[in-house]
Amino acid sequence: MKKSLAMLLVLVLMLSLVSVAAFADKAVTLNVVTSYGGDDGNRKNFENAVKAYEESTGNKVNDGSATSNEEWKAKVLTDFETGSEPDVLFYFTNADAEPFISAGKVVSLEEIRAEYPDYAGNMKDSMIAVAADGKQYAVPSSGYWENMFVNRKVLEDCGVAVPGPDYTWDQFLADCESIKEAGYTPIACSLVEVPHYWFEFTVMNNGTVENHLDVPAAADDAAAAKWAAGLNDIKALYEAGYFPANTLTASDAETVELFNSGEAAFLIDGSWKVGYFTENAEDLNDFAIAYVPGKGERSASEAIGGISMGYFITTKAWNDPDKREAAVEFVSQLTSDETLSTFVTTEVTALVNGAKPEGLNPLQQSAADANASITAIAGAVQDSLTAEARGDLFANVQNVVTGKMSAEDAVASAIALN
Amino acid sequence: MSSMIYKKKSPLILFLVPAFLFLLVYLYYPFFQNIVNTFMKIGGLGRAAEGLNEPWYENYQRLWTDPYMRTALKNTLLLTVCTIVFQVGIALILALLVDTIRVGAQFFRTVYFFPIVISATALGLMFNLIFLYKGGMVNQLLLNMGKLPTEVKASGKVLVQWLDWKDQAHFLFTMLMPVMWQYVGFYFVILITGLNNISPDLYEAAALDGADGWKRTRYITLPLLRNVLCTCLVLAITGALKVFDLPWIMFGAGMPENMSWLTGTYMYDQTFNKMNVDYGSTIAVLIVVLGVILSNVANRIFRPSEDL
Repeated sequence: MKKSLAMLLVLVLMLSLVSVAAFADKAVTLNVVTSYGGDDGNRKNFENAVKAYEESTGNKVNDGSATSNEEWKAKVLTDFETGSEPDVLFYFTNADAEPFISAGKVVSLEEIRAEYPDYAGNMKDSMIAVAADGKQYAVPSSGYWENMFVNRKVLEDCGVAVPGPDYTWDQFLADCESIKEAGYTPIACSLVEVPHYWFEFTVMNNGTVENHLDVPAAADDAAAAKWAAGLNDIKALYEAGYFPANTLTASDAETVELFNSGEAAFLIDGSWKVGYFTENAEDLNDFAIAYVPGKGERSASEAIGGISMGYFITTKAWNDPDKREAAVEFVSQLTSDETLSTFVTTEVTALVNGAKPEGLNPLQQSAADANASITAIAGAVQDSLTAEARGDLFANVQNVVTGKMSAEDAVASAIALN
Repeated sequence: MSSMIYKKKSPLILFLVPAFLFLLVYLYYPFFQNIVNTFMKIGGLGRAAEGLNEPWYENYQRLWTDPYMRTALKNTLLLTVCTIVFQVGIALILALLVDTIRVGAQFFRTVYFFPIVISATALGLMFNLIFLYKGGMVNQLLLNMGKLPTEVKASGKVLVQWLDWKDQAHFLFTMLMPVMWQYVGFYFVILITGLNNISPDLYEAAALDGADGWKRTRYITLPLLRNVLCTCLVLAITGALKVFDLPWIMFGAGMPENMSWLTGTYMYDQTFNKMNVDYGSTIAVLIVVLGVILSNVANRIFRPSEDL
């Protein structure tokens, strides 16, 4: 009796399992990693786009997005190396992506288009990044710009005018002194966490927009001298007390909040920060996008910008028959004209038809106005460095400004690792 | 039939082998591979080695000359000492106090143990807010007590000189305090369990002989608690060498100015951020060697008494 009861139970269990498998929902779960996490200005737009994708396809998305920084980049690379890469990755399309491209862990557009001819068909091919092997891999999203955010209220309190496209380094130093005298912090920046914004502009200030992307090949070449001079400019600002008193121990979030709360006047950041202020600023009219002071041959109207990130489909997802279509559909939806138009306010895109952003807020309008006066842009030179070299260079900025290491030695140390 | 099970020992091997194989694959093999990695040139996790280092012992040479490694070792040893003095010390005092009260002992047990169940990441974020530069809890308190210098500028703006709890003068306190605080409850629970095992008859007899509170603690409680205390000390010393999460959340890469490195945080930074896997492996070997030496020394010094 007991035996037959047990047999019956086993039978019922097996039948239920079989029926579950037979009638299981065909929904696919995609693992997606992007940099639209943390305080990224497009986080909400990304979440909305993911939700729309889930609703239209019935698929699920495991969103592993985080804030983009050196640690995040290292983690993404480690995930690839240890076989735990996501199905779809939104990542940098420059040298940072080479380790997993050369390892064959992502699929080229050519291969995807052989099966899905319309894939990324709404993008200008000429603006899609080409990897070292000559192939294209990532569908570009919106581009970016880096420029100077200013707190109008602080400048007004200190009797300083909002910088224009002809702003010079000397004017900037004089303004910083006035701001400091008035009891405010001139520059909001965490030199321990995000020294790269100032590095890019001070290096360009000691060179030109045309040669900005030159990477030093030796410790004594022209590019190395330019980098060292840029680092020394940052050191001069640090020694003058223009950075926050805790710039060597503060997080980026802390110094941005210092700026947001009306305690600091200048902040160099990127287009992604506009969204942060849109969500967190008490009054957007208190902020404006101005220009980073120019020095030497560089004019303040020359800035950093471009399209540096895009969506990759990993080989792992491509080889999974269930995930292949889901991944292609995900990237297609996230890079459609309609979706990208919600991500873009003033940034460039690779869209053939261009983005059509609607209803710019005062800060976005200010960015659009500033961009209209930009005369030239160059990509960020740090993107040409290996993760190891870049990590070393930026970790040594604190040593340079405190005099523990010379700028020349810091550059030489980074070059040795590149 | 059933007695055969106990007489025939060989089937026991069947039960031991899976665990042994598991450890072999997931502990001993990686450990030996890690030692091999210290001699190789590896530029990223999961990447193939690009051959031997030149010289092959280059990483071990670097261990001796690397100033950040010296900082990490110094801080880790300091953390170990602080662990003994503060974690176990405070846990002992709290356990003795709670053991003497009749009402609310269970309440205090729960309260003191609670930090253990909170993730170190959450605690790190919480202490980051407590020690925040502008507007953090401690700085707000100091400001309200008039302990922070303020200056009224010509513009009328009041400039507060906030205290930077993560600067060179304060980082040790800010880093060590939360670590001490987090684990006091762990040793407290072990010690209070030990105290509960001491027979009340002994205290009654001592009371009849006229022993007061201090004498009972000195001559009955502490001697009978020796073995438990020794176990706590060995656990504390070996645990201190592995501390990573809380300091990493609060201080990241050696903040301020590469002064707060611990062996654990430095190993992580070299391996995962600097992609210097072979050097990270070398630091890992050093951590294991240090752990073996210190736990042996601790075991010898604090050897449990066989009389108890």
